[in-house]
Amino acid sequence: MTAATRPDRASHAARIMPGPAAIAEAMLAAGCRFFAGYPMTPFTEVLETMAARLPEVGGVCVNAESELEAVGMAWGAAATGTPAATGSTGQGLSLMQESLAEIVYARLPLVVLNMARAQGDYFQATRGGGHGDYRHLVLAPCDVPEAVELTQLAFHLAEKWRSPVLVMGDYYLAHTHQSVTVAPLDFGPLPPRDWALDGRSGGSGAAKLISPLSDAKQRHAAGRADAGYDLAEFYHRHVAVMERMVAEEPPRAETEFVEDAEVVVVAYGTPGAYVRQAVRELRAEGRRVGYVRPITLVPFPSEIVAAAAAGGRTVAVYENNQGQMLDDVRLAVLGAAPVRFIGGLSLDASGFGIAPDLDVAVLKARIAAVHDAAAPAGDAGHDGRGGAA
Amino acid sequence: MQREILWTGIGGQGIQLATELLAAAAVAEGRHAMFFGSYGGMMRGGNSDTTLVLGDAPVQSPPTIGATWSALVLHPAHAAGTLAKLRPDGLLVANSTLCTDIGGHPGAVVRIPATELATAAGSANAVTMVALGAFAAATRIAALDTLIGLLPEVLPAYRHRHIPANEAALRAGHRAAAPLVDAWAASGAPEEAAV
Repeated sequence: MTAATRPDRASHAARIMPGPAAIAEAMLAAGCRFFAGYPMTPFTEVLETMAARLPEVGGVCVNAESELEAVGMAWGAAATGTPAATGSTGQGLSLMQESLAEIVYARLPLVVLNMARAQGDYFQATRGGGHGDYRHLVLAPCDVPEAVELTQLAFHLAEKWRSPVLVMGDYYLAHTHQSVTVAPLDFGPLPPRDWALDGRSGGSGAAKLISPLSDAKQRHAAGRADAGYDLAEFYHRHVAVMERMVAEEPPRAETEFVEDAEVVVVAYGTPGAYVRQAVRELRAEGRRVGYVRPITLVPFPSEIVAAAAAGGRTVAVYENNQGQMLDDVRLAVLGAAPVRFIGGLSLDASGFGIAPDLDVAVLKARIAAVHDAAAPAGDAGHDGRGGAA
Repeated sequence: MQREILWTGIGGQGIQLATELLAAAAVAEGRHAMFFGSYGGMMRGGNSDTTLVLGDAPVQSPPTIGATWSALVLHPAHAAGTLAKLRPDGLLVANSTLCTDIGGHPGAVVRIPATELATAAGSANAVTMVALGAFAAATRIAALDTLIGLLPEVLPAYRHRHIPANEAALRAGHRAAAPLVDAWAASGAPEEAAV
């Protein structure tokens, strides 16, 4: 299943756009009116486009003095009910982790972009580097049109659940041009923003409180006008919403050829597009292989992976890191099938550019090796035309 | 139907711009496009390569590919990787001014003195536009008028004074190449051009 729906023909509204500009236009289409960030490749182009475009629609973009300040500014804007976003690469998001944890607890909608270098930030995105017992949704597009859709979905989900939503991009997404139509997408009704700060302060009788410590002071308890916060009540109420969010939002994944696959490959983001191509070519050559491309990393499509792995097939995991999503795949499969890691950190000299391993021929060889090793003795594991022993 | 076009040259030849122009023209003619560019740190002399994939349906190709329908070689310095990906029956367009030895490609080859023609047309920097014009004439991958019409869109405003030179280069290349194949012969007619 895939969330992406695209016309067969490019409509006349389609334009060839670089990934960062398409993501920026998608943010504007979703209503984003505040953006703050600090330049860092390959996030910089998103910031540049937002700096040029947001003032044209009455919004504000700030080139902050650091990522720490950028997330603080976005936090403040979000508290007023302004659709807001920030972002960086994984390095910059490290600086934001404390604030992101606090924003989750303050229950504020915020879209966060990680234009990542390679895929080393999976744990940062899905486990979080901040404090406390928190989760937020994570979406991982594999190309520009999907990034346009998921970026808009992120704004919807952020507001629906009053929670940060992270969109996980990468170097390739930031440097690929693709034909795409950016138009506002309707994901359904949203609750009113009656929680947003509107300038009315204490003493007005209508002051609101948005804080990671609580949203309601206890008053008149034990004969005092202000008895402070009941943090236990707040945290329990908060985690209940968070649990509902992760449980109710449908996991998304693209799958192909999994029904009769002897090897199912799991990969996300742009590497997922390379794996898709490798699997299609291996299928054409007669090997029974398939793939699952997780589109939501939180919630992870565990049931889709488990279903694809049913029957004791081998599952192979490709990531451009030393094995992070691998843990989630193993948890999904729960020992029902062997899980082989075929990824590994792959970088060019710049440390974030073109990965030598992101080559369809390289991936085909790795997947074929897993497939042929998994084949029963005396069976080449494919239809025999390839002649493997 | 999908057509892959790999371009290789050196910084300063306009590889990235010409790729974007063809991608924009294909989209204007109702097709889908994806391209990925890579280039060295040097402004001039480093490698400049692009992968362009055009199709009748949304392009699902990864940003870089292993085999291509066509290759445009503007400079031989970094061309080996691109030539290795050209299918045996693929089309090779070579800048014969600089590429005197491109090896023995078994498929069709269009040799075009692109640097020479660009210089004669007024700007040696427009060499890749000459090659694009020739490629369009040889393959009907996009109409010359569509390409020329999109120059103001792909060139930033502060470069618009170079539109006449780029148009002259496109026309010079288009005149210099004879029709060879119809890139889209097996596909349905594209939607009416928007340009």
